[in-house]
Formats: sequence, structure tokens, C-alpha cells
Amino acid sequence: MLEFKHVSYHYPATPPVIPDLSFKIEKGEFVALAGSNGAGKSTISRLSNGLLLPSSGEVTVGGFNTKTTRASQIARKVAFLFQNPDRQICQNTVREEVSFGMRVQGFPEEEIKARTEAALETFSLNGDWSPFTRSRGERQRIALASVLAGKPELVILDEPTTGLDYKECTAIMDHIAKLNREEGLTILMVCHDMELIQSYAGRVLVLNRGTLLGDGPTRQIMKDRELLSKARLRPAQIPNLALRLGAGFEDVYTVDEMAALLQKRAGHKEGEE
Amino acid sequence: MNLLQYQPGNSFLHRLNPITKLAAAFLYGAACIISGNLFLVTALIILMILIAATAGLGGRALRLTRNLLILGALMFIIQLFFVRSGDPLLVTGGFVWVTTGGLVSALLLSLRVVAAMLPLMLLFAITEISDLCGALVKKLHVPYRYAFIVTTAFRFVPLFTSEFHDIEDAQRARGVEYDTRNIVKKVQLVAPLFVPLLTSSLRKVDAGAISAEVRGFNLRTYNSGYQQYPFHLADGAAVVLLVALIVVSAVL
Repeated sequence: MLEFKHVSYHYPATPPVIPDLSFKIEKGEFVALAGSNGAGKSTISRLSNGLLLPSSGEVTVGGFNTKTTRASQIARKVAFLFQNPDRQICQNTVREEVSFGMRVQGFPEEEIKARTEAALETFSLNGDWSPFTRSRGERQRIALASVLAGKPELVILDEPTTGLDYKECTAIMDHIAKLNREEGLTILMVCHDMELIQSYAGRVLVLNRGTLLGDGPTRQIMKDRELLSKARLRPAQIPNLALRLGAGFEDVYTVDEMAALLQKRAGHKEGEE
Repeated sequence: MNLLQYQPGNSFLHRLNPITKLAAAFLYGAACIISGNLFLVTALIILMILIAATAGLGGRALRLTRNLLILGALMFIIQLFFVRSGDPLLVTGGFVWVTTGGLVSALLLSLRVVAAMLPLMLLFAITEISDLCGALVKKLHVPYRYAFIVTTAFRFVPLFTSEFHDIEDAQRARGVEYDTRNIVKKVQLVAPLFVPLLTSSLRKVDAGAISAEVRGFNLRTYNSGYQQYPFHLADGAAVVLLVALIVVSAVL
């Protein structure tokens, strides 16, 4: 679905932000791109849909080479959710906003109407609202509804939950995870929130200064404290606690697993007494 | 690179008092506008590029001159066909298109535009906008509120430019094509971008105003700033030289 082949990128008159990067994401994967500030996450996300073009190497996405295909054409298959929804929202009503992307991409009018109404219902949005007067969480939901309404094959999420409270955050992420599970939607999530990554991503790419330090299943990456430390990250809380507790806790990964093990051990001790 | 961005340095020009630099830019511009001599105005443009070079800004002055020449060329074309004085120079089918008076006037006007605007634009390359406003408040007792408006406006220009590019990227990512050659279509596509730009700008301005208010913005007086802006001998000499330049421009 997405492949970087020896990609380098540098902004004008600066050293390369991405020196030489290669990775591949298959259809249906939920991949997190993790790294601290300045790791090159946002640059990679913009290279992924042709908003930026590689200085050398190649990026292919959905069968398109970004060097030979316009970002607007790639948009038919690849949707991008920006960290700040206010950069995206430009229409007077939520309904117009949700249908905007499909309209500029030339979808048939009937299809636009059907998909818009379905997206409004899915995200519990009122089509007549003015998007500018809604709360931050609602604006993020409107932005997400408008990028998903066109049924893309890959969605790039750039820090999708910044500024959202827990309820809004889980509502948005649960919906994305459902689409990934049930409809095979490929997700690339740019993020440095390790709790969020642990909860939703199946695979993590760990970046530091534009270089890929690690690539593997989330469960495995979360236990590699040395790797995460090199990337100036720390594991999510439960894997971190498990690492600290050491022997007997190596395989503990979630709150449920930790609770079960602790209960089992407590029961065992009571039995001994 | 932003051609109006401040470039730090310790040259003679950098060391002048901000008020002197502002006055000098206006006096130099005035000398160019007063002069009716084509050669003198051209010489003043070259002189300004050389002066800028002494502050390490020769390349930027040349780029600014090139950009200003584009504006000058537009004014040249308009002036060339509208001024009808002098002898006919280009006549077709009995209709006089261009006259000698029109040509001289158009040349003079376009060069004046370049010569008068160049020092004003270079002023921002050698003066930090906060210093300029600080000096205006301390030395000329301009109310801080107005100086702050100017500082803030300049500070927001690169911010809004970057914001605009991000908004444009967000729309390109949704399938909007901006590289159409159809002007009407381009305007139709670009116009909606101003909505998110305006809303985000208003949010930023509102947050900035609250932030300034809670930090005691209204308590500032002329003496609140730590920085001092003393005048030196070089400042006086620069003003005298520029007044002399105005006299020469008026005479020649």
C-alpha cells in the first residue's frame, strides 16, 4: 500500500531531515510512526501522500509514484487527517464540509449525498451546524468524517488526538480501529503518545532524526526499553511497569493481564498462608 | 527566504540608531522622488545596493531590486501610454502610441519607485522591528499601543504565510488542484482558503490579546523597556549627508 525506497528529504538550505529511509506498509495494517519532536514524523507523513516530494529515492502509495502523480490525484486513495482540524475546515456547514473532498474529486452527486449522510450519521454530526462554532473535539470529528466519507484505502493521521479529552479521543480512535478491523482500511498514525500506540497500533516504526531505529509488532517494541530510549521515548505504562517488575512479568502487556497476574499471585500467597 | 527578514550584523548600518535608520530611509526615498534626473536616480539605486553591500546585504539588495523592477515595469507600461507630452515616437495609422515625454516620464517614474522603496525595504533587514518600535516609544514617545500593533503585524506575516501554506496543503490532500491555468477557477479554489486562515488568525489574535492583557500590557509606560537607544555622532553625520543629498537632488 505504501513503500519508501531509499528516500531522503531536505528542506531548502538545510541538512537532510530524512537521510535514507526504506519501509513498506501492507494493505490492512495499522502502523504507528513513533518518535520524539524533530524525528521527522510529519515530514514522512507529508511525503506519503505527495504533499512533499523526496529529494532522492521513491515513494509509492496505492500504486502511484508520488513523483509522477499529483497530490490531488493521490487524494482519491489516500486521506490525510491533520493535527489541527481548523486548517482543513473551509465550508459554512458541516454537510458542505463533509462533501467538499468528494465534490472536488468529481464523485457523482448521488454518491456524494449518500456518503455524506452516512458519514454524518456515523459520527453523530448535524449537517446544518456551522463547523466554526463547534468544540475542538467536534471539529476534529467533522474533519475525520470528511476525510473518511470518500472511502480512502489509506488514512494518514497526524497526531489525531492532540487537544482532545479522553472521551473524544477514544470515540475517534475506536471508530478508526473499527474501520481497520472490519473494512481493511490501512492506517498510518503519526504519534508520540505511547499509550495510544499500545492501545491501537499493530506495528510500530520507531524514528529518531529521520532514521528508522526499529520496526516491529507493537508488543515487541514496547518491551525494548533500549530502543525506545534511543528514540527519546518510553514504553506505555503497563509494559514499563512489567519491565521494572522483571521476572515473571515479562509477558504482561495490558491492564487486564497485569490485574490477572497480580490477582493470581495474591490468591497464591493467601493459599500459602 | 523572506526578503524583509532581519539579518543580524554589526556593520555601520546595523549600529545606527533605529530612528536614524528610519529617517535615513525616508530622506533617501525623498531625494529619489525629488530628483528629475534619470541618471541621478539610476545612480542612487546603484549607490543603495553598494551601501547595502557594506552591511553584507548586497545579494538581498539585488534580489529586492529585481522584484521592484517588476513593479516598476508595470508602472512604466501604464505611464508610457498615458503621458502624451513631447514628440511622437511610435505612430501607426496616424495614431500616436508613444511620445518622448511619455517615455522619459515612464522611465523616471519606474526608477523612482525602485529607488524610493529599496531603502525602506532594506531598513527591515538591518533593524529588528522590536528595536524600531522600542526607539519610537522611547525617543519619539509614540504610544506603546501603536508600536505594539506594528510589531505584532510584522511578527504575524511569516506566521500567516506558513499557516496559509499548511491550509493549502490540507486542501491539496483532499483533492483540490491549485495549479490550474484558468484564473477564474483558481480564484474559486483559493477563495475558500481564506476562511480557515481568517478563523485561525482571529483565534491567534484573541489568544495573543488575552496573553498580553494578563501580563500587564496596559501598565507599560515610555520608560518600561530595558533597552536604551542613544544617538551617536554617526547618526548626526548620516542625517547631514542625507539632507545634502536632498539638496543635490533638487538642484540637479
